[in-house]
Amino acid sequence: MTQTIPRHQSADDPRVELDEKIGVFEPIPPYPPRTEREAEFYTLGDGEMFINMGPQHPSTHGVLRVVLKLDGEKVVDLDPVLGYLHRGVEKLCENADYHQAIAYLDPLEYVSSLFCEWPGVMAFEKLLDVEVPRRAEYIRVLSTELNRIASHALFMGWMALDLGGLTPILWSFIERDEIVDMLASLTGQRMLFNYFRIGGVNGDLNHEFLSRLGDWMGRATTQIESNLTLLNENEIFVRRMRGLGKIDSATALRMCMTGPNLRATGIPFDVRRAHPYSVFPELDFDIPTRDEGDCLARYLLRIDEIKQSLRIIDQCLNQMPDGPVMAKLPRLLRPRPGRAYAGIEGPRGQYAAYVISDGTDQPFRMRIHDPSFIHLQSVGVMMPGNLIADTMAVMASLDPTKGGVDK
Amino acid sequence: MSKRDRESGAVPDEAASSAIAVRGGSALVEPIVVPNTLWRSTDPTAYQGGLDSDITHLAALEHDPELRRDNARWTGPLEVIPTKADYVLDLIRMNSLWPLLSGLACCAIEMMSAATSRNDMDRWGMFPFRASPRQADVLIVAGTLTTKMAGPLVRLWEQMPEPKWCVAMGDCTCSGGRYKRSYSTVEGIDRVMPVDVYVPGCPPRPEGLIYGMMKLQQLVKDRRGHWPERSIGPTVPDGV
Amino acid sequence: MDPVLRRRLEKRFGERLTGPIRQRHDETEIRVGAGDVIEVMRALHDEPEFGFQLLADLAGVDTGEVMQVVYHLWSATTPDWLRVVADGLSREDPRVPSVTFLWKGAEWMEREAYDMFGITFEGNRDLRRIYMPPDYQSFPLRKDFYLPDDAARSPGAGVRHMEQTHAPRNATPAATVRRAGS
Repeated sequence: MTQTIPRHQSADDPRVELDEKIGVFEPIPPYPPRTEREAEFYTLGDGEMFINMGPQHPSTHGVLRVVLKLDGEKVVDLDPVLGYLHRGVEKLCENADYHQAIAYLDPLEYVSSLFCEWPGVMAFEKLLDVEVPRRAEYIRVLSTELNRIASHALFMGWMALDLGGLTPILWSFIERDEIVDMLASLTGQRMLFNYFRIGGVNGDLNHEFLSRLGDWMGRATTQIESNLTLLNENEIFVRRMRGLGKIDSATALRMCMTGPNLRATGIPFDVRRAHPYSVFPELDFDIPTRDEGDCLARYLLRIDEIKQSLRIIDQCLNQMPDGPVMAKLPRLLRPRPGRAYAGIEGPRGQYAAYVISDGTDQPFRMRIHDPSFIHLQSVGVMMPGNLIADTMAVMASLDPTKGGVDK
Repeated sequence: MSKRDRESGAVPDEAASSAIAVRGGSALVEPIVVPNTLWRSTDPTAYQGGLDSDITHLAALEHDPELRRDNARWTGPLEVIPTKADYVLDLIRMNSLWPLLSGLACCAIEMMSAATSRNDMDRWGMFPFRASPRQADVLIVAGTLTTKMAGPLVRLWEQMPEPKWCVAMGDCTCSGGRYKRSYSTVEGIDRVMPVDVYVPGCPPRPEGLIYGMMKLQQLVKDRRGHWPERSIGPTVPDGV
Repeated sequence: MDPVLRRRLEKRFGERLTGPIRQRHDETEIRVGAGDVIEVMRALHDEPEFGFQLLADLAGVDTGEVMQVVYHLWSATTPDWLRVVADGLSREDPRVPSVTFLWKGAEWMEREAYDMFGITFEGNRDLRRIYMPPDYQSFPLRKDFYLPDDAARSPGAGVRHMEQTHAPRNATPAATVRRAGS
């Protein structure tokens, strides 16, 4: 039996001229399905229905629309609709200078901006065959590890927020604000730092940054521990997350996952060790790995990573060499025509840039590979069989940032 | 099927037209489908696309009194003489503006930072970020508006009941920001909705957003809020 | 710059490569034609001497003359990134076999390449637009994208200069610029 769906006019669906302007809002597109998957998804079984988690919803992951196919309260299937934050960064980078392109890369993963700049800058340096001074590399590692801690602290807050806990996000933001104010004294900006330059970083460490950092490092461990006891020992939190969104390592590799999401399934793949870049071969840190592959494992893994990041920051401060913070480069940069790929380990996974240069002062093609984009695909693999309320928990545990998903 | 389709003769067959096919007989009761008469866009040109632009910069607006319109739309004298109760109501409104969670991009993080412990917006009564537009007073648009999101955002704005205000936070919402040349962003949300306070910055510091909200409070208190006859829709004037 | 990898690749795929194997810094690049993509990818993925289990990136490229699809792979057997370039796709109708049979995570990356370039991935079960609205007519990252008329209608569309022809519509200098005091 086919239902006739009252057609509606929605701003992001093909315009069909109707006499009744706005009918009942339903998440199904009013055109026939164009792909196999669409046909399979938009076909209702017995007793199933659609619910639209629209682009604006109280989960703070940004503008993501998910169409859920429900059987009662169980989610049978889901279809994320992206593109609500697509800003055309790759095209804009093609029309901009190499230096200007770095500023376009920041807002991609806005909670971890320094990680977004790094692969772009590394790819440019490969094309220019530039040697980055060691002090600049150490400063890069130091600032990015600080940013990683801030990002993971926010992850913790959002994880709890999506499960309904309103306190941990406040505590996370205190953590994040401290770190970000430190980075503001170093880079000049709280969030979209624009700190990395081709051949080094923008400015050297200054006294204010070092004193704030030393201050914070002294109490960082205890502060983070006390924040964590709120959640780790909370029975509701643990019971909700344990066993939820389980994914095994073979599937994770097939879904091209990287970063903490992959390490939580048991594969110890970390770009810093698997394909070392910068000064990571000289630094001593572990790669935390867990086996279960569920939300709780991903959460605890990121907590472990915070601790490793603190170790790395410590070593950076101890081993910081002297020297220039930026290589000498001409102002007008014309790299050799060629291609370069650079991948780094960001807090969400492997973050990479693929740059094609045609010998002029503008990149010919600037391709950004973002882990959040890849990881959102696996929500469809993890979700079926779970309840609606767990959708947001699973998505939060993958730690997506919409700026990166949509570029 | 709609009447127009039947009249025009272009009736697609059932399989093509309905994107849903329910397999198997359903023993459930027919769902009650309530036609939506709750709200309609008051501006007939909303959703019809933007207006053509004849000029390429807005400097001309400044010099032409016909083209110039106040962004808060305080055009002309107010039709109602305010009473003391209205003043008190405005004080009440100003001190408990409830924002709608409309964080789109990076500025949303700074908005959340403004709402959390270190820079506390709760001091001004703005902590409860409502999830539903029906319960919200202020729409703080934080983050780049893309053409795909413009529709849902305008729908959110129209769903908010009066009195309501709009704060454009961040460079992307004020003017398009660093994405002004992009093919898929809206250059400033004042192309699609009326804005009361612009908070520039990329992203603005949380203190900056709070300053903008304080300006909004001043607007509410001193300028008597907004009236229902205010047009909803693009405030870029005709002919621009 | 891994000579071992280079030799292995030449031995295994010698006749399929459409260009020399290039190595620079820590990347190795091979170029294949669109028809060989499935064989090459499957060999790289399944054979233990290669073991490229991780697809790091899938990108479309428009060089102005041809289209290409570029895959980046990582393996524990070599310190290099491997770049596989599926070269020689026509700009009018670029078609490439999909690698979703090996990596399901490539589905969205291929959707993105389709959305931005118009490259059709044969075998992808879900090849629809991912970033742009579903009724969008152009492919934004192509080198010839600067057309005005086929941008989607939406409440905010219309006046971006990237979507206009070279001269602003109806613009004459006298009408646009008003001097102060005139």
